[in-house]
Amino acid sequence: MSEGSASGVPHLPGMEVRPVERNVYEVQIGPSHPGSGHMRIIVELDGDVMVRVDPDIGFVHRTMEKLAEGRGWIKNIPLFERMAILDACNTTLPYVEAVEKLLDIEPPERAKYLRALLCEINRIASHLYGIGIFAVFLGHSTIYMWAFGDREVFVQLAEDLTGARLTHSYPVFGGVRRDIPDDFPQNARKAVRYMRYRLDEYAKIYLNNPNIRKRLEGVGVISKTKAAELGIVGPNARASGIKYDVRLVEPYEAYPELDFEIPVFEEGDSLARAWQRVEEIKQSLNIIEQAVDWLEKHPREGFMHDKFWKTAPKLYKDVYEGNIPYAGKYRVKLMPLFATLKVPPGKAAARVEAGRGEIFYYVESDGKEVPYRVRVITPSFRNVIAFKYVMPGHRLMDLPAIYGSFDYFPPEWDR
Amino acid sequence: MDMVTAAKVFSDIGWGLFHYIIFYPPVYQFIIIPGLVAALVVVVFMIWFERKAAARVQMRYGPLEISPRTGGAPQLIADLIRYTVQELIIPSAADFFAFIVAPNAMLILSLLPMVAVPMTSISEYWPIPMGYSLLIAVALSTLAPIFTVVMAWASNNKFSVLGGVRESFIIVAYELIAVISLLSVVPLLHTFNLVDIVNYQMSGIWLGLLNPIALLDLFIAILMSTSGFPFEIPDSETELVAGPFTEYSGLIYGINMGGGYIRRWAFSVLMTLVFLGGWAPYRPGPGILLGYFVPSLIVVVKATIVMAIMSFLRAVYGRYRLDQALSLAWEVLIPLAFAAFGISVAEAFFGVHP
Repeated sequence: MSEGSASGVPHLPGMEVRPVERNVYEVQIGPSHPGSGHMRIIVELDGDVMVRVDPDIGFVHRTMEKLAEGRGWIKNIPLFERMAILDACNTTLPYVEAVEKLLDIEPPERAKYLRALLCEINRIASHLYGIGIFAVFLGHSTIYMWAFGDREVFVQLAEDLTGARLTHSYPVFGGVRRDIPDDFPQNARKAVRYMRYRLDEYAKIYLNNPNIRKRLEGVGVISKTKAAELGIVGPNARASGIKYDVRLVEPYEAYPELDFEIPVFEEGDSLARAWQRVEEIKQSLNIIEQAVDWLEKHPREGFMHDKFWKTAPKLYKDVYEGNIPYAGKYRVKLMPLFATLKVPPGKAAARVEAGRGEIFYYVESDGKEVPYRVRVITPSFRNVIAFKYVMPGHRLMDLPAIYGSFDYFPPEWDR
Repeated sequence: MDMVTAAKVFSDIGWGLFHYIIFYPPVYQFIIIPGLVAALVVVVFMIWFERKAAARVQMRYGPLEISPRTGGAPQLIADLIRYTVQELIIPSAADFFAFIVAPNAMLILSLLPMVAVPMTSISEYWPIPMGYSLLIAVALSTLAPIFTVVMAWASNNKFSVLGGVRESFIIVAYELIAVISLLSVVPLLHTFNLVDIVNYQMSGIWLGLLNPIALLDLFIAILMSTSGFPFEIPDSETELVAGPFTEYSGLIYGINMGGGYIRRWAFSVLMTLVFLGGWAPYRPGPGILLGYFVPSLIVVVKATIVMAIMSFLRAVYGRYRLDQALSLAWEVLIPLAFAAFGISVAEAFFGVHP
């Protein structure tokens, strides 16, 4: 506990005893509040203007890092997915990559494309979720329903690809769980066409709506230097003019071969952050098209590293090749080796660009069936600090306009 | 006293009750049309329409499960029953008397303007003498909102108080707009008499056409006063939970939710009479059916259409910020209201008035 806690009361937000200034009105927004998500924002108001904002995180903390130390290597993948189930592939990918570094294996080319494909599908679904929540914060229920309805398209694509809507557990050590079904490319292209058309409609009713523009323009501005100072990541940093994207600075999986741009906005206000997500969805659609083209052109050979594939029983291989009529094609169960996998001692770190920004894993092994230590730093955790510095000086009604624009996700930063 | 006499006495009392209390025009207008009963029917329809129209825009069904054949129309009845039997929680820190009385007072006072408006041009069915009816109706329409502030204060909840403060800001802003816009027809026609105002519009020239700025101003002021989108500010969910109604539950919450719509209904009726021709082009005939029910039905239908347009805006707009709404009101709408007044004066001067 820090100094000054004479009464033994720790200096934690919401637990400290402080004199409130005269004419200041303290409102606790959350943790159980329609506009807060699973967190609390302690706001001090002078009239209608926020003078002090304290984001109080930890309401949905689930001790994930500690839990990971008691589970087998493969069982941690479904665990870490629970941080952000709508962005499951991006969230677990760096863990898988870090463990692969320790195992010293490289996934086959096809697996890299499959991973990138699902990452982009997840990114779109995650952005659409963010757009929808943001819109309903501003009272715009139409775009909320539209975004959530259109997100269903990509959730369906993910289901076609992986067999699960949200918690796919798709990337595993050495590869992915299954290959694309035969009708996937045409469905994906259809979804891409549909989404391009829908994004124009979003702009018409939402982003170019004078009412919404008035709410967002010039609200919650973060300058480029301030964003760098606070360590903002992901679309929020790019909306402030920082061209930083892990796919750009440290390309992973199939991204070096894919052709895409990193959209950057200079304004740094809530409107720029909203547009940033729309532009990123457009880029992700391009990537999906390229990945699907590549997957269609190249033969289906190896979506799993040989080290694991050779341990698969004959039944698995028969199912994969479609020799067993009642079981779907191109799918396998988890390789038997995963159950007793022991990872060589060592330390590894990996990072990817998740929907909300850079997600970083540090994995340490002491050669046992369970990790020695897994450390996760999530993008929402790094973005949350911005609330404390950006919100003061704005009006109370700007709180949702700023909060929503950051595409917050408390379960992700609480881990 | 034998049975026959007793029956006659009772039936006389019943007839008297029926004829002199229920059909006494001020009471009838307050209770039946266009007062409580009509308002409730319209509000139930309007909430259903609002949800259904928004659902159509948003690519979903809206209310459906209760009676899919009628598009879930009885959903609101089910909701009302739920509100009625729900537990009524009154916080121990709340001011009991004000907490209970304010919603009811608000409901009754929102309907009060209905006692001052004519539904026909036949003087037999007027609730009050019509000499200054526009002025009286406008004055009565300004009574209700203060009770939202009372509710907020009585709830003793921070969100309620913030909502109440917002409501009071909005009241001050919209009231002047609504009053000036409604009264802008007076210099044009040289009368406060609503019957004369409607009779003038029989010619087919609605005052909304003669003075569209006043109509637009009034429309926006009504949206502001009844926290319709894009001005759903006092009970903005994402910061203030339910604003002044945060602590309310059960039937009183239902009354609060309906209260805004009923106020909107009262304003819509007033707007219909002043700007949209009232019962024009129909000319009330003899008898209660042709002389009262048909014209009142026309007014009800027109006012319902006005409400439907207001409800539809939910699907198009988000909400403005409080200071943006206030600056819109004070810097744009009030000058426009004065301009509308000036237009009326000019039209009177240049002889548009017959």
